[in-house]
Amino acid sequence: MLEIKGLTKKYGKFLALDNLNLHVDRGEIFGFVGPNGAGKTTTMRIICGLLRATGGTVLVDGVNAIANPQEIKRKVGYVPDFFGVYDNLKVMEYMEFYGDMYGMDKEDVDEVAEGLLELVNLADKKETFVDTLSRGMKQRLCVARALIHNPDLLILDEPNSGLDPRARFEMKEVLKNLGSMGKTIMISSHILPELAEMCTSIGIMERGRLMLSGRVEDIMHQTRISRPIHMRAYAPDFADAREGRDYIVTLLMEQPEISRVNFTEDEILLSFTGEEEDAARLLKYLISKNVLVSNFYREKENLESLFLEITGRAKA
Amino acid sequence: MKKKRRMNPVLKKELVVNSRSIKMSLAIMGVNAFLALIALVAILEAGAGSSNYEYSALVSLFPIIGCLECGMLSLIVPVITSGSISGEREKQTLDIMLTTPMSPFSIAAGKLWSAMVIVMMYMLTSIPILSIAFVLGGMSWWALLGLLGMLLYLGIYVGSIGIFCSSVVKRSISATVLTIIIGVAILMLTSILFAVGMGVLSYLTVVVNNQQATGNPQVFHPGLVPAIMMFNPYSPFFDFMLRSMTNYSVCEMVKDAGNISPLLEIFYNLWIPISIGLNLFIALGFLKLAGKNITVSRKIKRK
Repeated sequence: MLEIKGLTKKYGKFLALDNLNLHVDRGEIFGFVGPNGAGKTTTMRIICGLLRATGGTVLVDGVNAIANPQEIKRKVGYVPDFFGVYDNLKVMEYMEFYGDMYGMDKEDVDEVAEGLLELVNLADKKETFVDTLSRGMKQRLCVARALIHNPDLLILDEPNSGLDPRARFEMKEVLKNLGSMGKTIMISSHILPELAEMCTSIGIMERGRLMLSGRVEDIMHQTRISRPIHMRAYAPDFADAREGRDYIVTLLMEQPEISRVNFTEDEILLSFTGEEEDAARLLKYLISKNVLVSNFYREKENLESLFLEITGRAKA
Repeated sequence: MKKKRRMNPVLKKELVVNSRSIKMSLAIMGVNAFLALIALVAILEAGAGSSNYEYSALVSLFPIIGCLECGMLSLIVPVITSGSISGEREKQTLDIMLTTPMSPFSIAAGKLWSAMVIVMMYMLTSIPILSIAFVLGGMSWWALLGLLGMLLYLGIYVGSIGIFCSSVVKRSISATVLTIIIGVAILMLTSILFAVGMGVLSYLTVVVNNQQATGNPQVFHPGLVPAIMMFNPYSPFFDFMLRSMTNYSVCEMVKDAGNISPLLEIFYNLWIPISIGLNLFIALGFLKLAGKNITVSRKIKRK
């Protein structure tokens, strides 16, 4: 569905996108993850035909977005990160306006718009002025607007930013529904746990480069990521608590899988990159050294830790 | 199958939005109240209440109100149009518009037509006041229709500059100021070029006459120099007013200034259509540039 090859974008001397290669299959929900300024919005705007690339190709359903920006606009629906609405325009008129811009007949627009408003839970707001809607409703309306021409690819740039938890939940439900309908969706977000729940594949960007991309479970499996271990431990051989702590730190830092040891108020947090067996061996080792361990658990694999790991590596 | 002609979606949307705005109605009311006041003063000046009422004096209402409308339009249109693109940028709605297949030129054209609808509303609502000049003062229907046509042409010209400026600068207020500056610059530039051209030609004529000293002096030939003023958007309006109110015209003025060939006489007699054609072509250029500016991507907001 989406094929990006060697995509480059320069703003003067600043290289915003550096030879980006990406592939998204039809029906996938692709999560675009990356810190601020990584190049996510630039990539999305190039796909939509809003920005000209310095080099490379973008194919949406076989159509070159750079060579045929007008054609690509019929294939892509875009929800920008920041957008406004018109005063004095009702929800249905708002939908009709954009349907009209895609050259649709009023009857068709009305029919499609009704269905889309239903999908985004705004069916009862048809006669409401758009500027009076809440932020979450406006965001959902914008999703409905982006779908008015039945695009092959829906692009959402930070759709959850600025939304309260309830609105975020509603937006997530809308996107899940779209996913189950087989729509190809590209979504960027900072709220990584939510992306992990929704996305079938992800791409992690850092400084204009795609550090990693693929199906979420494959990435999690392939990447030896740092999943911290939380533990509570005491060294009964030492009367002084400080000395006991130093002893435990020395033991921990001897382990090659541990890169950092942090003491919080009541627990020790270990940056641990080993396998499950290594974690078990560590526990056995500590006990053998007469360290009493009252709590020992490893965090589950999640997108956030993967993201931090990848972007942390890139910075290093 | 015959392709169904569609109304420009931007125009359609603007009509809906503007029709719900109280600001527009208030502005139209204000303009007409001002024109009505002028008309009232003219009626009283003509001798209302006295036995010798001068109906013909009411004819003077026509150029006064015509010029006033022209002046007000030159100020109102920049205000209306200057927010058309920059306002979309300010409201962050332009990007969404640009993701649709509608061309940036069509977006700019839709904005211009919606501004022209407002201009027409100004004009149509002022007809009753203008009508005083032809009902009581004896002006013709053609003069009235001609004036409305002139105002519409000026609206398109100034509106195109306004939309161009709106596509160049970020803020609507700056676009208004820039539109007025460009308008004044065009007026001044054409006038200065015309004055310099005529000055140089008369100087050369004097020099030739002094050199020859034959007693058969060379007659001044303005040639195509007056045509510079055709690029002045207000010159057709000026010619129209001259023709409506007197038997004089720009062509006669040129003939009075010096000798012109019969071909040039025909050319200058067609001042109004030629000048309007030229200036509308320039207006189209401004609109095309506006379309181009809309597509040029601005630096994206860094989050």
